[in-house]
Amino acid sequence: MSDIINIALPKGRLGDRVYEMFAAAGYRCPEIENPGRRLTFENPEAGVRYFWVKPSDVAIYVEKGAADIGVAGLDILSEYRPDVYELFDTGLGKCRMTVAGPRGFKDDRKKTLRVATKFANVAKDYYSSTGRDIEIIKLNGSIELAPILGLSDVIVDIVETGATLKQNDLEVKNTLFEVSARLIANKPSYRFKRERITEIKNRLTELKSKGE
Amino acid sequence: MNYSKSELHRRLRAVFESAGYRRYKMSKFEEYDLYAENKDFLVSENVLTFTDLDGRLMALKPDVTLSIVKNCPEEGIEKLYYHENVYRAAGLSFKEIAQAGLECIGKIDEYCVCEVLALAAQSLRTISESYELAVSHLGLMRQALEAAGLNEPAKKEAFRLIGDKNSDGLGQLLKREQIDGDASEKLLKLSQLDLPAEDASGEIRKLLSELAPQDSIDLFCDTCELLGSEFSSAVRVDFSTVGDLRYYSGIFFKGYIDGVPSGVLSGGQYDGLMKKLKKSARAIGFALYLDALDPLFEDGQDVDADILLLYKDNVPAAEIFKAKKALSENGESVCAMSSRPDNMKFRKIYTVDGSGVRRVE
Repeated sequence: MSDIINIALPKGRLGDRVYEMFAAAGYRCPEIENPGRRLTFENPEAGVRYFWVKPSDVAIYVEKGAADIGVAGLDILSEYRPDVYELFDTGLGKCRMTVAGPRGFKDDRKKTLRVATKFANVAKDYYSSTGRDIEIIKLNGSIELAPILGLSDVIVDIVETGATLKQNDLEVKNTLFEVSARLIANKPSYRFKRERITEIKNRLTELKSKGE
Repeated sequence: MNYSKSELHRRLRAVFESAGYRRYKMSKFEEYDLYAENKDFLVSENVLTFTDLDGRLMALKPDVTLSIVKNCPEEGIEKLYYHENVYRAAGLSFKEIAQAGLECIGKIDEYCVCEVLALAAQSLRTISESYELAVSHLGLMRQALEAAGLNEPAKKEAFRLIGDKNSDGLGQLLKREQIDGDASEKLLKLSQLDLPAEDASGEIRKLLSELAPQDSIDLFCDTCELLGSEFSSAVRVDFSTVGDLRYYSGIFFKGYIDGVPSGVLSGGQYDGLMKKLKKSARAIGFALYLDALDPLFEDGQDVDADILLLYKDNVPAAEIFKAKKALSENGESVCAMSSRPDNMKFRKIYTVDGSGVRRVE
């Protein structure tokens, strides 16, 4: 294995903030700031190679060893449960995994609860811990629409500010857990590139504690 | 890797046999009940089943250990190795997966534990010089968490966080459970402990001294020191190496090879499984996932035969036989053909014609 560390970053606003954190920790990569049509960006001096992937795919890239490390939200990690190390909470991309439903909705335990969600495993685990009989309606987007159109009774989804819920007459019924972006590592990569990965983790930790 | 898969399998068998382990051959099928009652022990809960001609529900073996344990005698000690295919759900379909490993069942003592760990390290070293065996002790970690005051659900959560190397999460859990400062600090340090086995004893004793029985700590430290002296820094003590607590009760370990993106070896003391199967014996063993090693055979390094012997149509069969026999004297495999096949790979190519045998590639 080469000494360069392959890093999977989540595409989008969160990914930009994550890259800025890496750059501030000493792992800047000028190529990524002028991307053109390139798909991977390397800075041999800093010993890093970055690539952008869909946020939900970061964990797969890391678990399968295509990336040594990556940054993925706890929502994705809780849903897919990849076999990776979760080394550090970046504190970025904070939001909550919640159960939300129409304002005033009361759960009638005589009926099966219809739950629309992207996070089927998270929802299943939560309701099985409460012993509630549910029907999962797996959606890939616009989850908030489901209770408005009567497709589901409630939704299990991430909520950042709650503004979208409020505008649509929905409200948070329960918070399952706090979500933020985590630094994850492929297990064999961690073992054979231990010093480099630990150095990255330590520098990010130091940076975060300075900012707090 | 500069030799073929079949050669690797032969060398692994030699490692197991060097310690007197006997080969255990088994049927591809087993009654489904065995797996239904022990689903948690299986890597995947999905089992391929079929109804036998006599009406019994059978399964294609998803696991080897359960079959060996089921048939092991109550007395004495059995040292067995296997090289079998198992059938498991992987991704979206079932796969046939090649697995080798060994089991030591009966009156397990400190020597048996050290021997199995050493054989695991030797197996990894046979595959590659760049390997790591990560060793932990689930019994000691469990005792430490209990001594610190964690209840059953919190303990389960703590094991998950330790396995993820998630010290942020473990810290929050210990705070939430109001674990005393000193015990909390020791548990956090223990969860992060990742040292070469030869250097780990001091730290293990310091962190566990008030949280686990001294004789268990001493035994574990002795094992670590012995392994460290045999395999230096390739064997590491890493408490993030965790397995299912219902089955694994003592030493637990996982093996890694540089260049393979997943763990290739997993094993430990599974006295919990023995108890569940109502066996009085104790047991320790490991499995090596041979299919996971495929990345090491990429780039044309894995060959169909060591030598291709090309012969002209007019060469008598007796001449070809003679040449083949001579070339295979060193134990290399020889495939004789009249033309070079496009879909096969060889390490060396020879020709045989009226003037004799010559190496051409």
